[in-house]
Amino acid sequence: MAQPKTLAGPESLDDIAMTAMEFGKLLMECGAASSIVDEYAERVATALGAESVDLRIGYASLAITVRAQGKGVARMRRVGPIGVNQRLDQAVRHLARRVEAGDVRVAEVRGELTRIVDGTPRHPGWFIDLAVGLACASFGRLLGVDWLAFGSVFAAATIGQSFRRMLIRRQVNVFIAATLVAFLASALSGLGSRLAGSTTVESAMTAAVLLLVPGVPSLNAQYDILNGRPTLGSARAVWVAVILIFITIGVWLGQMALGEGR
Amino acid sequence: MYLEFAKVLHQTLFGSLAAMGFGVLFNISRKNLLWCGIAGGLALAVRTVGLELGGSLELASFAAALAVGAVVQMFQERIGISRNTLDVAGCIPMVPGGFAAKAILGLFALTAPVPIDPDKTLILSVEYFLRVTFTIGAIGTGLAIPSLLLRSMRSGGATPPARNPLQEPPDRA
Repeated sequence: MAQPKTLAGPESLDDIAMTAMEFGKLLMECGAASSIVDEYAERVATALGAESVDLRIGYASLAITVRAQGKGVARMRRVGPIGVNQRLDQAVRHLARRVEAGDVRVAEVRGELTRIVDGTPRHPGWFIDLAVGLACASFGRLLGVDWLAFGSVFAAATIGQSFRRMLIRRQVNVFIAATLVAFLASALSGLGSRLAGSTTVESAMTAAVLLLVPGVPSLNAQYDILNGRPTLGSARAVWVAVILIFITIGVWLGQMALGEGR
Repeated sequence: MYLEFAKVLHQTLFGSLAAMGFGVLFNISRKNLLWCGIAGGLALAVRTVGLELGGSLELASFAAALAVGAVVQMFQERIGISRNTLDVAGCIPMVPGGFAAKAILGLFALTAPVPIDPDKTLILSVEYFLRVTFTIGAIGTGLAIPSLLLRSMRSGGATPPARNPLQEPPDRA
């Protein structure tokens, strides 16, 4: 149970608002749907002493109004690039539950969040590359790619994912990066499949770029709309449509380079 | 009805591997990757059976997403992964990325100086585009239904208190 809190003044309300938004921001950046962001930000703010909480979730920013003891503050915060990070998402939710249980004081929460962000483990890069390669090769089999092209799709997608991580590290624009990775992966996959004597070169080229397909945002867009947030859902859907166009440009360039397709 | 079990098994296995691969990309811990594999395998098994029984891709994808959504909803607390992530990891092998690429490539082909067979290309592009839209819609709706139903059941089917339209906007942005 949350312990009763005594608010010292406007600074405390400010702390509550900023802390709740920090939770919401991190959850957004981890790929959570808006209903989760809303729920956890409200739970944290309420546990810290807010009597009412209103959160607006935009694609690139959050805005919150918290009220307590007849006073209120409204604050806004920028949201960073949205990705998917399951373990960080779980760690943030766990901390929110600890805040709710009264295990963490207001002054400690921000420090705990920083510790979580810095300390949440990630899989080694080589492991991610290989796993993504295997996922795309499996996708290829689901799309009807023959066994002769299986190895090419695996190798091309592995190299494509490695290249993608390098571009992310260098902070290349996400859309440009999608085109570059799609071009490299599809061209390598097509070339390898052709040399191996595959009869499904075109499908192999498509399968190698499926690592870029934005599955989480496309499903989140629908969740958000179904949960009564059409603005955020539409923003996500537009982002998905644009990234798909940039991926396809990369595949098209790959096809041109190999003389495949039209 | 004739079911090709080898095909169902093949699709289940590769659906499972694809889901586990994406689970790694989503930073799901190694011990929980198995759950991604189960979700992906279940999705592809249900979808393949649906297709083998003569259902459309959209209907089969909807049934598969509904099955994954329901199973994840039932076991979520025990698994310890967020429902959303496991839903997505399980259903991602069904996202028709290949169709989306073909639809856009078809539109590119229409803008060539001398398009080859433009009528057929346009019809095919529109068909692929519609299939992508309906399939993603089917997956999203299928996944959402179990949690929306559960939420309604938890609230006991009670009607939410009426809002004062002068104090609260009808929709959250």
